[in-house]
Amino acid sequence: MSTTLEKLDDMNKRTQKIMAGGGTKRIDKQHALGKMTARERIEKLLDVNSFMELDRFVTHRCTNFGMEKEEAPGEGVVTGYGTIDGRLVYVFAQDFTVVGGSLGEMHAAKICKVQELAMKMGVPIIGINDSGGARIQEAVDALSGYGKIFYKNTLASGVIPQISAIMGPCAGGAVYSPALTDFIYMVKNTSQMFITGPQVIKTVTGEELSAEELGGAITHNATSGVAHFIAENDTDCLTQIRRLISFLPSNNLDGPPIVDSSDDPSRTEEELNTLIPDNSNQSYDMKEIITKIVDHGDFYEVQPYYAANLITAFARLDGQTIGIIANQPKVMAGCLDINASDKSSRFIRFCDAFNIPLLNLVDVPGFLPGTNQEYGGIIRHGAKMLYAYSEATVPKVTLVVRKAYGGSYLAMCSRDLGADQVIAWPTAEIAVMGPAGAANIIFKKDPDIKTKTDEYVKNFATPYQAAKRGFVDMVIEPQETRPILISTLSMLASKREGRPAKRHGNFPV
Amino acid sequence: MKRFQITFKGQVYELEVEEISSSAPTIKKSAPAPVPNAIPAIAPTPKATEPVAPAGAQIVLAPMPGKILAVNIKAGDVVKRGDVIFILEAMKMQNEIMANQDGQISSVSVTVGQTVSTGDVLAALG
Repeated sequence: MSTTLEKLDDMNKRTQKIMAGGGTKRIDKQHALGKMTARERIEKLLDVNSFMELDRFVTHRCTNFGMEKEEAPGEGVVTGYGTIDGRLVYVFAQDFTVVGGSLGEMHAAKICKVQELAMKMGVPIIGINDSGGARIQEAVDALSGYGKIFYKNTLASGVIPQISAIMGPCAGGAVYSPALTDFIYMVKNTSQMFITGPQVIKTVTGEELSAEELGGAITHNATSGVAHFIAENDTDCLTQIRRLISFLPSNNLDGPPIVDSSDDPSRTEEELNTLIPDNSNQSYDMKEIITKIVDHGDFYEVQPYYAANLITAFARLDGQTIGIIANQPKVMAGCLDINASDKSSRFIRFCDAFNIPLLNLVDVPGFLPGTNQEYGGIIRHGAKMLYAYSEATVPKVTLVVRKAYGGSYLAMCSRDLGADQVIAWPTAEIAVMGPAGAANIIFKKDPDIKTKTDEYVKNFATPYQAAKRGFVDMVIEPQETRPILISTLSMLASKREGRPAKRHGNFPV
Repeated sequence: MKRFQITFKGQVYELEVEEISSSAPTIKKSAPAPVPNAIPAIAPTPKATEPVAPAGAQIVLAPMPGKILAVNIKAGDVVKRGDVIFILEAMKMQNEIMANQDGQISSVSVTVGQTVSTGDVLAALG
């Protein structure tokens, strides 16, 4: 047998070969496309020198179609663990330079192992997808690999944050693992997701479009709502993931990390007093309110290009992570529609699963009328919001800044859906319907309808009818909002709320 | 001959598809095709918290049903992206409809007081 030194030498040679991935030529091609390699991505994502690789020597055992001669260093996926801001995370990155990053039995086994470990350790998992799809030579073994990953994604859902970065092709069955995770990042121009590619679509329906048009980052961020974040390039994508992780707890039993905020918790903002226009038919930018309230005016928007009539974002109040759900009067009057309901309810459920308090900023005129909304099922989609808010047991704080009418008032986490504290600005209009509409019904036959309507507006388009019944806990001066919200959240920190035991509710999906 | 009904940006079109050979299906349109509307490009964002409206579209569509309260442009006007070109009153709100790209207005399809529904063409930008 060889000497100890020779054995060390042998190990180093084997390692070097694996580290080289698919070889210089393929790596150069990856770079030419503006993409990093799997290892470069992991280095960029994690804290310097924190990455520990697992399963480096795993190989496939396929002998079909000459696969026994095909060497696949690392099985086309790099897996392991490391830290982000000193906090443990698990990671896998598919290596497109090795057999096109295709997924076979052992490739899947490597991914499943880190999924299991991440759950056991109770820490986030980040998957970097860059793969041509199933390794066809491995037949049903490859298929089974996908199935196992989906199953583990589902078990991990609500236990640990799962984040997917699409940094290359991700087609066919491969799309469903990211779809089962909490957040999807896509990189402009280099990432695509679709069930059936442009070729198939052309044959079946005759539509001709590029892969980027069909399933690129912009399509999925702005049109389909499949993706949550868009990145300019690989570096931007990985930096953004680090930012997201900074807001999140490691698992469902931990609270989100509390950051030492240098922003004064008792900071008042005089400008908030005059931000709402005198004419309640005029729009303004809800993001200005958010900026003035949260720590350092800093918030991280989720799905900013999808259903922009409703804002979902992570931010901090006195160092504590919060999830913001806010109507945006600037876009489509800030009304609720199918897409906004879908977007918000998924965000609410994520926050509830991971102990992130909810702050609801309300200025909503109603649900969007129209046949495409009704035929599209706004009834069942809108129900998602009611369900998600009612189901959530994290602290729920609702701030009504202006309109809160009818069903949409309820849907934005009213007292009756379990809001722990409802705060209103003096500009709030909380009522069963818009004043003109209501007056038209009540004073239909009254000859003096004009005066009566004005009277109605004065008495009912205010926060005080709701406050009379205790649906609003306090009416505050807008400039005091930040200190009051911070004190409210600290009051709610010890909130305990139970729900009846059940297998699971029947969420109106 | 197969007939399909498709809805594109709120407009309903009827398609008749006839298979003439097994390999190359052709399409006969019974309704005019909409102006090719490129996949909206999202302009590079100056700040992560401030997304810019998708640009690249050539027609301005009504985002929701409502009444046109003001038309700020006429055919031939040069506009910049973000210019308010219509005020659409909907949900009791004066919604500012902005130009989705720099360009010249080639046609205006609505007048003050007109009621529009989701997906109606308001103007075309050259």
